[in-house]
Amino acid sequence: MNTTTGLLPAKQTYEYGLDHVDALEPMSDPIPVQTKRAVNSGDSEVTTRPLAPARKMLSQWFMANIVKFLLGLLSITLFVGFWYLATKYRWDFYVRFTSIPAPGDVFTEALSLAHQEDFYKNMALSLRRIVLGFGIATVLGILFGLIIGRYRLVHSLLFPILEILRPIPAIAWVPIAIMLWPTNESSIVFITFLGSFFPILVNTIEGVSNQDKILISAARSLGAGEFALMREVILPGALPSIFTGLAIGMGVAWVSLIAAEMISGEYGIGYFTWEAYSLIQYNDIVIGMIVIGILGLACSGVIRLMGRILMPWHSTNNGRS
Amino acid sequence: MMNQGEIGLKGRMDIQDLKVTFGRKGNLVEAVSGISLHVNPGEFVSIVGPSGCGKSTLLNAVAGFVKPSGGKVLLDGKEIKGPGADRGMVFQQYSLFPWMSVRKNVEFGLKMAGKERNARESAARTLLGLAGLLAFENHYPDQLSGGMRQRVGIVRALATSPQVLLMDEPFGALDAQTRVVMQEILTNMWQRFRLSVLFITHDIDESIFLSDRLYVMTARPGKIKAEIEIPLPRPRVPEMADSAEFLKLRHELHTLIREESLRAMGGELKEGLGGFDTEVGPKGVQALI
Repeated sequence: MNTTTGLLPAKQTYEYGLDHVDALEPMSDPIPVQTKRAVNSGDSEVTTRPLAPARKMLSQWFMANIVKFLLGLLSITLFVGFWYLATKYRWDFYVRFTSIPAPGDVFTEALSLAHQEDFYKNMALSLRRIVLGFGIATVLGILFGLIIGRYRLVHSLLFPILEILRPIPAIAWVPIAIMLWPTNESSIVFITFLGSFFPILVNTIEGVSNQDKILISAARSLGAGEFALMREVILPGALPSIFTGLAIGMGVAWVSLIAAEMISGEYGIGYFTWEAYSLIQYNDIVIGMIVIGILGLACSGVIRLMGRILMPWHSTNNGRS
Repeated sequence: MMNQGEIGLKGRMDIQDLKVTFGRKGNLVEAVSGISLHVNPGEFVSIVGPSGCGKSTLLNAVAGFVKPSGGKVLLDGKEIKGPGADRGMVFQQYSLFPWMSVRKNVEFGLKMAGKERNARESAARTLLGLAGLLAFENHYPDQLSGGMRQRVGIVRALATSPQVLLMDEPFGALDAQTRVVMQEILTNMWQRFRLSVLFITHDIDESIFLSDRLYVMTARPGKIKAEIEIPLPRPRVPEMADSAEFLKLRHELHTLIREESLRAMGGELKEGLGGFDTEVGPKGVQALI
């Protein structure tokens, strides 16, 4: 122990010259732990990692996730169990389960519906309306959001009217939409669009105005013009916020779509559900609800997946700080 | 009086009677008040001063982010009208684009200049290699340490081959040890690229270690208080910080800046210091006001 003290020559640490500077780099510019981890998970260093810890990590991951999976399964089982008991014994304590279909009947009905072409047509039409309405809302919401967020004059011009329109729920537009649009189909798409447009717009504006101004300065000092600034800096900088808007917008789009389909629809899964009520086919109501839930979940999953693909830097960050 | 032989080189910067005021009529704040200074081609010039003296504002005016209310900034005789890639800018805060890999960050200026992808890529890799960062070219900024990020920032500013590098306390956020290494790296890059540097700092040792010449600013409204040449030989090594010459310069600068810091704090100790408009310091110091 004593012999090591004074063994390290101070000179080596402070010798001048580019080579030496690089050599002393790791000592004086220590890579923090989080970066080390980042390096280890990078492509080149992966092979140097011993296998045993990797296997241990894998089993740890597996254990953690199996518990998660089992708990999820438990909650679903409890829910279906309650549903089963409530409908089997026709519970009636203010809330009445007397007319509610039992899970078993719903399941049998679902199997028979799986062979009916009309059922798929309903699903496909609803999805088409979502794709159109939400798609147009995405394009316009991001476009207007970028411009309103970036230019104060446009903000002053457009923001007041948008703020007045924003609190009006999309469903409140149904009568006007029916008058406004030539076909039933286009008015439903319009309602879906309205529902998702405002969350996307507002979050895009927020993403643009909350952006670190230093990045804009940096880009301009590197020769970026206004258009390049928009495409290379302002849009990617706002992406995390935009995706928050897309996730919210997708939820509201489904709410608006189902309501519009129930009110004025021909076909569509919302129409299917309401029609089932009118025709006293109670099993189909529940099937409609479950399908809406699954489709909504799938759409949100697509948004999340897109976010992960378009923002790889964002996920490298997660769980790190 | 300096570097007269290099007059043909590019990267000469002249700041002439520059004034910057903020605010609106009735509530005007003068941040920079009639500053004139110059940077010779290939020269390393620092500006030191107490915090809040307007040195960053001065640099922002040179970068083109802030419009001067009077005077002008000339780069190689041409007046500056807004930001541009002829002046590489290194910021105090981390300013890398988080969504771009290290290499894409370095390529950014070249992309804006319309360079081909292959040319961009190889130029960026060369520069990253010089800075010892090639292994990290595909990392995102969030995966790097503070010192590495700032090195990428310098490399990015150098990529467009600017005539002058403007640095706004670039090492202010780094720990002391990292800062020393960064200073050496910067000196190396500067000598290799032979470009002019205008460097803002409040760290006296840093300004002496790096500069050929430095200006001391007064408390707000910022004016030039003194111009000091640093006659230390190059290459500079950290051991020089113990030399008599270095200590003398440091003492002079401390005295100058202390006066201004006190003045900025309200000047309660004005009497004790015996005024601050008198000429201070032995040779090497020219009091300009």
